[in-house]
Amino acid sequence: MNAFSIALDSIWAHRLRSALTSLGIVIGVFAVVTLTSLGSGVRSYVSGQFGSFGATLITVAPALPHASSHKPRFGGGPNNNFINVPSTLTVGDATAISLAHSRDISQVAPVAVLPVTVSPTSGSSSGLAATGTTASYFRAEQLSFAAGRFTHSGAVLGSSAMHTLFPRVKDPIGRTIYVGQSPLPVTGVLNSASGLLSKAANNTIFVYVSTGLKISDLHNISEILVAASGNTQVNGAGSVITRVMKRRHPSGNFTVTKDTQILKTINNTLSTITTFLSGLAAISLLVGGIGIMNIMLVTVTERFREIGIRKALGARDSDILVQFLAESVLLSLLGGAIGVLLSALASHMIGQLAGFSAGLTLDAVALAVGFSLLVGIVFGVIPAFRAARLMPAEALRTE
Amino acid sequence: MIQDVNHPIIETHQLRRRYGRGEAAMDGLAGVDLTIRRGELVALMGPSGSGKSTLMQILGLLDRPTSGSYYLDGTDVSRLTTAEQAELRGRRLGFVFQGIYLLPRLNAIRNVELPMVYARFPASERKHRAADSLSRVGLAELANRRPNQLSGGQAQRVAIARAVAPGPDLLLADEPTGALDRASGREVLSLFQHLNDDMGLTIVVVTHDPLVGRHARRIVELEDGHVISDNIVNEAERIVADHPLEVVK
Repeated sequence: MNAFSIALDSIWAHRLRSALTSLGIVIGVFAVVTLTSLGSGVRSYVSGQFGSFGATLITVAPALPHASSHKPRFGGGPNNNFINVPSTLTVGDATAISLAHSRDISQVAPVAVLPVTVSPTSGSSSGLAATGTTASYFRAEQLSFAAGRFTHSGAVLGSSAMHTLFPRVKDPIGRTIYVGQSPLPVTGVLNSASGLLSKAANNTIFVYVSTGLKISDLHNISEILVAASGNTQVNGAGSVITRVMKRRHPSGNFTVTKDTQILKTINNTLSTITTFLSGLAAISLLVGGIGIMNIMLVTVTERFREIGIRKALGARDSDILVQFLAESVLLSLLGGAIGVLLSALASHMIGQLAGFSAGLTLDAVALAVGFSLLVGIVFGVIPAFRAARLMPAEALRTE
Repeated sequence: MIQDVNHPIIETHQLRRRYGRGEAAMDGLAGVDLTIRRGELVALMGPSGSGKSTLMQILGLLDRPTSGSYYLDGTDVSRLTTAEQAELRGRRLGFVFQGIYLLPRLNAIRNVELPMVYARFPASERKHRAADSLSRVGLAELANRRPNQLSGGQAQRVAIARAVAPGPDLLLADEPTGALDRASGREVLSLFQHLNDDMGLTIVVVTHDPLVGRHARRIVELEDGHVISDNIVNEAERIVADHPLEVVK
């Protein structure tokens, strides 16, 4: 008959009250565990998306204006939106990078976003984007062809773009589309891409880079996509690119961005959001803890007589302290356990719905159990001390 | 039960207990000198508010005196820590209260075991003593009943079994018959006499019931926190425990 069995008995004796008291902890633990599990689920999903190509991509882009001391301005004239950076990158830059013949680099593709309309008939618009590039692009992005191939004079359709342009056509190869004013034959169709970053290819029409630049009357390309030959070659490839580009653009008006950096940034952002949300959820744990303290204080007052009897029979202050502390710790652990179970259920369901695994992490469970233990002790101590310090005569006087 | 007869089991000097502060303060005890020797059966009597319950609580280490000294079996208990006092309560003192002071969620035998749990008796000795004690009050068959399945008299006998199970030196009873009908009350009183006569247990009973007083060997009367009389009861006036009805009638 130790403190914990006394506590269990007392909790069982007041089932409804115990359940309601634990509810605060249940909700708090549920929220904290679910949010941290979801957070880490999303993070590993994002990493997985990058991981399928090993986060080996490197992007060379024009430097943003603020990086070259031009401050971005908003809302003035038509041309001051800072994304619309006047690019100085050329197809020649891409060629120079590939001519460096670095073993760390496997693919180099110039990418030109073309400011033209695309449609199956002349003069109309489908809202689809057109990109000028080379065959390296498809290898770098790991895009595969459902049919046909990429040629210098034709167009390749992303899987969704094909459905938009030719809704009821099974095989659009050989059909003509208008990119700007120029009619081009469709020479290939891509398989649907599911990667987080390659998804954009589904809605894109690809033409050869020099064809595209000529159609839209452009000289510069938007960016250069480089694929490193492996995860460990990313940094080597990056320094080769920077060296080549520095030589060709001494002013340094370009940026080299690795996917690993993007991944890191996304992970950091997700971590921050998760921590923030878990912090908010932790407030409900705090509220739950105060609820436990409240009930325990009421319980102590209600059980003066029991405390008096126990003390008269030789219970030390410490015996009473342990008994009441055990009760509040058990209550909050019970709440914590139910909360963990509920959030296991919720994470599973969310995982099913959202299509990524959001399983409980051991961290989250340990955190929840630790936290509810802490809550039980912290908020149980004051009532337990009140009970323990009671003079037996005083406790027995209340009828 | 070998006892040291050199010093009294209870000895108090100018025991005071003051409740409240300032103008509203009142003396529960206003200087009580009392000596009780081993083997005595003493009734503390007096009207309500006379201080008899306060005295019992201090004698039972359930309360602390405001001033004065109290020697329990030769030890100045006012100098003890709360833990040491708890230990004394558990091993040396037994309590019987008015009304039912059993823990409602424990059955009879568990209730009897409780003081020995706190006194850290080994489990086997605890169980043995509890069963013994319950059969001594004639309730061995009801060991597994919960308090709400016992009559008032039975519950009070369980409480007595609980009080004596650890083998205390002193039994303190506060209005033990107050909540009982007369028949149950007499049962409890004859049990006290039996414990006192046959086992030499020192018993202090607080009561305002003259019947209880007449079972005692010594009657100490209190009024307004003072002892106003302290008499040894003549053997001829005492009710013989086995035949209380004859005298009452």
